[in-house]
Amino acid sequence: MSDILTPTEDALAEAPPPTRGGGALRYVLTKIGGGLVSMALVVVLGFLLFRVLPGDVIQTMFRGRPASPELMAEAEERLGLNKPLFEQFLDYLWRLLHGDLGQSYVFNVPVTDKILERLGPTLLLVGVATLIAVALGLWLGTRSAWRRGSRFDRISTGVALALWSTPTFWLGMLLLAATSGLFPTAGIVYSDTAPDFLSQALDVAHHMVLPTITLVAVIYAQYQLVMRSSLLEEMGADYLTTARAKGLRDDLVRRRHAVPNALLPTVTLVFLHLGFVIAGAVSVETVFSWPGLGLLTYDALRVRDLPLLQGTFVVLAGAVILMNVLADVLYRVLDPRVRAS
Amino acid sequence: MTAPSPRALAWRRRGAAFAAGWKQYASQRAGLVGLGLLVLIVLLAVLAPYISDQQGLDVTKATGGRMEPPSGEFPLGTDRVGRSVLLLTLWGARVSLLVGFVATLLSIAIGTIIGILAAHYGRWVSAGLMRVTDFFLVLPSLVLAIALSTVLERGVGTIILAIGLTSWPSAARLVRAQTLTIEARPYIERSKALGGGHLHVIGKHVLPAVLPLVFVNTTLAVGSAIVAESTLSFLGLGDPDPMRPSWGSMLRSAWLDSAVIAGAWWYLLPPGIAIGIVVLAFTMCGRALEAVLNPRLREG
Amino acid sequence: MALLDIKDLTVRYTGRGREIEAVRGVNLSLAPGDTLGLAGESGCGKSTLAMSVLRLLPASARIGGEILLDGEDVNTMKWGRLRAVRWTTAAIVFQGAMHALNPVRRVRDQIAEPIVLHADTPPPPAALRRRVDELLAQVELPAEKGESYPHELSGGQKQRVMIAMALACEPRLVIADEPTTALDVIVQAQVLALLSRLVTEQDIGLIMISHDLAVLAATCRRLAVMYEGRLVEEGESAAVIGRPEHPHTAALAAAFPTVGDPEYRYAPATSSELGLPDPPPPPSGEPLLRTEGLRVTFTGRGRSVTTAVAGVDLEVHAGEIVALVGQSGSGKTTLARTVLGLQRPTAGRVVFDGTPLPTGTRGLRAYRRQVQLVLQDPTSALNPRHSVYESVAEGLRIHKMPGDERARVAAALEAAELRPAEEFMPLLPHQLSGGQRQRVVIAGALALEPRLLVADEPVASLDASVRGEILALLLRLRARLGLAALVITHDLGLAWNIADRVAVMYRGELVEVGPVDEVLRSPTHDYTRSLLAALPTLGTPAEH
Repeated sequence: MSDILTPTEDALAEAPPPTRGGGALRYVLTKIGGGLVSMALVVVLGFLLFRVLPGDVIQTMFRGRPASPELMAEAEERLGLNKPLFEQFLDYLWRLLHGDLGQSYVFNVPVTDKILERLGPTLLLVGVATLIAVALGLWLGTRSAWRRGSRFDRISTGVALALWSTPTFWLGMLLLAATSGLFPTAGIVYSDTAPDFLSQALDVAHHMVLPTITLVAVIYAQYQLVMRSSLLEEMGADYLTTARAKGLRDDLVRRRHAVPNALLPTVTLVFLHLGFVIAGAVSVETVFSWPGLGLLTYDALRVRDLPLLQGTFVVLAGAVILMNVLADVLYRVLDPRVRAS
Repeated sequence: MTAPSPRALAWRRRGAAFAAGWKQYASQRAGLVGLGLLVLIVLLAVLAPYISDQQGLDVTKATGGRMEPPSGEFPLGTDRVGRSVLLLTLWGARVSLLVGFVATLLSIAIGTIIGILAAHYGRWVSAGLMRVTDFFLVLPSLVLAIALSTVLERGVGTIILAIGLTSWPSAARLVRAQTLTIEARPYIERSKALGGGHLHVIGKHVLPAVLPLVFVNTTLAVGSAIVAESTLSFLGLGDPDPMRPSWGSMLRSAWLDSAVIAGAWWYLLPPGIAIGIVVLAFTMCGRALEAVLNPRLREG
Repeated sequence: MALLDIKDLTVRYTGRGREIEAVRGVNLSLAPGDTLGLAGESGCGKSTLAMSVLRLLPASARIGGEILLDGEDVNTMKWGRLRAVRWTTAAIVFQGAMHALNPVRRVRDQIAEPIVLHADTPPPPAALRRRVDELLAQVELPAEKGESYPHELSGGQKQRVMIAMALACEPRLVIADEPTTALDVIVQAQVLALLSRLVTEQDIGLIMISHDLAVLAATCRRLAVMYEGRLVEEGESAAVIGRPEHPHTAALAAAFPTVGDPEYRYAPATSSELGLPDPPPPPSGEPLLRTEGLRVTFTGRGRSVTTAVAGVDLEVHAGEIVALVGQSGSGKTTLARTVLGLQRPTAGRVVFDGTPLPTGTRGLRAYRRQVQLVLQDPTSALNPRHSVYESVAEGLRIHKMPGDERARVAAALEAAELRPAEEFMPLLPHQLSGGQRQRVVIAGALALEPRLLVADEPVASLDASVRGEILALLLRLRARLGLAALVITHDLGLAWNIADRVAVMYRGELVEVGPVDEVLRSPTHDYTRSLLAALPTLGTPAEH
């Protein structure tokens, strides 16, 4: 035959699948760049929401509250509201770059300090609850997809849907009412607990039980439902037939082949829905007076402390965006297909 | 005999398709139960002014005692100022359902338009729109809604706006994905080759194929909107007028009045259960509809 | 003793009150080391038959009869025994270019998996590594490819991996289910040659399943043809192809014409009442369609530029059928899209009837009345929600064609030989057969009274028996309406069947253009030669 066939198959007969050298760095940089753009949008949105949209910021802050003109003028002076809007924005931007989110009107401390103080409890609560919810959701989702239509599937899907339909705060109130006396109703630690680490940790854990259960109950359903449907989607895939034809046991087919593929879309969703978790945290912290960012948000909106509300908004939104950038990078590690395209 | 016109035939076919779809829907018990519950609740909410007296909501004219347990006069007890919880729950349905429906329509409308535009017009339009959508998708919508309802006048309109403006991105993504699937079908290529322009392709092929999905999504989204309303109201961002209670604001009062500690379960349970039932009913309907309309099952 | 002995096999799928009989009483036997080709159209039960050998059918399948693998009935085996038999006695080569490989696991691990699974004691990693390298070498892949993920491999490479995987446990029977369907001609020839060589060398029994008689005949000693769940013909490959007894076998054989054999020239028309079409009119001055130095480049992400069409000069005269032949990725579909004005050229121009292709929306719309498109897969080329009437009338409405719409639709359906037209109008696409759907697509194009049809693989997704009818229709349309056609295909046989002239496209360029008889009988370009050489021929799998 002619020598045209001698080069390798790819070069001649088929277009090679796209491969790009040095893609890893570019991918990460693109994602970080996207994240930065989103952060910039958050910052601008924070300014628009709290400085431009209210029209008269001072009126909004003092709405429904008696206030003397002197008090209002003083507040206006302190917030720098008497300057032109653009100057205010530059000022806001400049301070933000230095980690200064302004002064809380009610607490009379820097917003940044207040947020840092409340960050720990929220991270603890949200972190623990998310871990439990992900583990629970993935396990239940896998089981119910594999036994589709079984009693287990119907009951666990039904329970998940019912809990997902329930308002978070109401669930928390019910738990409080049902377990009255067994668990603390508010706060993170009793003031009279011994200062040693063990006693403190045990007390915090005791305080955490109800908030964690509430948060888990509301968010695990999503993970379960996504895992279930994505596994069901994979179950018709040809490579599972290949695996069975090789002689693999059913549970190996599931563990080695179906689940790893079904996990990928689920991982994305876990992160995409972090905003949902944050929403849950605001309600849970409010109900259980858990001294975290959610409660801080509630306190801020209760007294219309706009600088504080602006601060929590920027921090919460920024945190979610940061987590999503991390998720994108993680996804690349998990899914080889993303590495090429 | 003249053959029926193609338009008449098309309508007859749609009628038949609807009947077949209804038959399939009716074969799902959960879907029927959900639909029955919804019809009942909507009827009660609409008829509230005729079957009850709105004056009972007036704080100054309350007849009952402070947080009375259920009795013959007040089947579900009373709240702190002595109003009937049953009456509050009935009237609460009006605001909760209204907010649920209108906010969902707003968010679905925004989502559908953005989704179709982002999929149909490639490159820059798509990239820009999806950038914005992704941004709003990851943004914690409750926090944004809190911010919106804090800075705007309190009221039903603000709540609707806050929920509608923060919950559209998932609809946009869904519609975009579906539009992209449809636009990848060769019949779109054929339509373009026949000379069809953007409007023709969107109107004749894309919209009819996307609408069932939008419909299902709407049904499922009303539930989320109602939960969002209750959360915002619970946080004190709802309508402050006591004559317009919602289930969320009832729960707020219950919480502020320490109904939990007082053990006033009759104050705590009705609004929460009402929310749960309505959301569950919408979810059941949505899932049943999905089974009927799922384009993958029908066109696959 | 036979390696595989299938006795009176029946397979029924039950579900939702309906029962579908996929396999109805099939008897088959395969001696060790023998090769058997199983042919048939989609839905004839051939894949069900293959899957039943390892009991891989879904739970809804009811199986009757016996499947003796090495004398042991697969249907009555215990699960443990069945799992032990799977892959060690019989292995399957799935259509690997599709989704038969796990997308998130390295190819090496997937090949090694059955070795570890079926070993009494797990082999040490070094030995396992050596064994996988050896298997990769057998399928002519370098050992490094083992570290790849499936999506990093080309279709041919994936198929090689599937073969390596099937050989991993040294089975005595290999079942290859459409192993080359998604592959290009040349790659197909390579994979077939490889598979033939390996089964011969290792004395493996082979059952190969395909809709393509030529592929089977090239690889297998015996052929069996299935139709509606039954075996309708079985025998030596040469005999079955040369003297088919069952009409269905004849239709299958006709779908894969022997290029160069005058008997197959314009065969779809000669076998019908219309007879041979008029000889193509002599090229008269100005061609109907002309492309001048047409170039189309795409800028991918990361500034990489792909040239799909690299300077093409092509002419189509009125009343002429031109076949544009090339492999996937050769740029032929992009060329077609550019001719239709669906893709803007980077350089060069398209001239239709002496006027350059308009660029404005309005001008393009008017142009599209003259040039119409027929797509590959009629199932997806019709909106599933639109009736036949609406689909055909769509173009009329877009162009606001004067006159009675209903009469025009009826005329177009008549022209596409959907008779009686009235009965077809209210039907939805899913109520039609594949061939009828393609006729609807053609009718939709004809309704606009075009002068040129651009047909992109018009019969590639149709069953063999329908293929002839559609090709005959194209020939008759040319004879009756003087309709010119640009037929895009990867199939040289199709060109030989209906085209007057052929243009061979390779990497965006036309490497050879000329009358079909000349180009396909005495090709001058190396690429055309290798395409012709790669065509499977009876008993001699193409080698290189």
